[in-house]
Amino acid sequence: MNLDDTVKLEIYGRLAQSGIAPTAPEVASSLALPLEDVTAALARLHQRRLLVPEPGDPSRIRMAPPFSGVVTPFEVRSDGVLYHANCVWDALGIPAALHRDAVIDARDGQTGEPMALEVLNGAPVPKPCVIHFAVPPARWWADIVYT
Amino acid sequence: MLLFRSEENVNAWCRERGLPRRPLVSLEQLWKLALAWYEDRLTIASRRPAPAEMVSVFASIGLTGPFWDPNADEWR
Repeated sequence: MNLDDTVKLEIYGRLAQSGIAPTAPEVASSLALPLEDVTAALARLHQRRLLVPEPGDPSRIRMAPPFSGVVTPFEVRSDGVLYHANCVWDALGIPAALHRDAVIDARDGQTGEPMALEVLNGAPVPKPCVIHFAVPPARWWADIVYT
Repeated sequence: MLLFRSEENVNAWCRERGLPRRPLVSLEQLWKLALAWYEDRLTIASRRPAPAEMVSVFASIGLTGPFWDPNADEWR
């Protein structure tokens, strides 16, 4: 396995286990790798759009989609672990990635009214709602944090 | 992308921000997108879909047209 895949699996494995994104020094320590190698791997994984570093601090992970490295309004609970997602798509992406059921605490984008979603037995429980894609796919990564 | 209880709430959200109404996606369609993007995300083989694959996934759930083309110049 190459370095980038090793770092990727370490980050995603720790996020799946705890819901918390490791920092570059934590990844380096866990894998017994030089910090510079891990930092370079993070930059390449960003280029491949598999993660997004924290703006201004490349040692921290802002997003490893579908997981968020920071607290967001999209809370996902599964098997006793609290995760944060980057958007409602990623909120469903977390149970999809984990292959587990989950409860998602989201809010109506206009009113702020709580709207819980549930993934049960491998599919979302039907609920009256719609999802608005304000940004076209051609521009998703122009500002991925906004998207 | 944001979740709304109703289309009326989407319209109000767009109107208050002076933003155009863009396509709406159902919960069922979004789940299929979540599976396509993330089902293998914890494996070594995972990667982001290439543009042509994205178009294919979108089309498979009825999302077609220029908005869903990741290479469309009109949005750049």
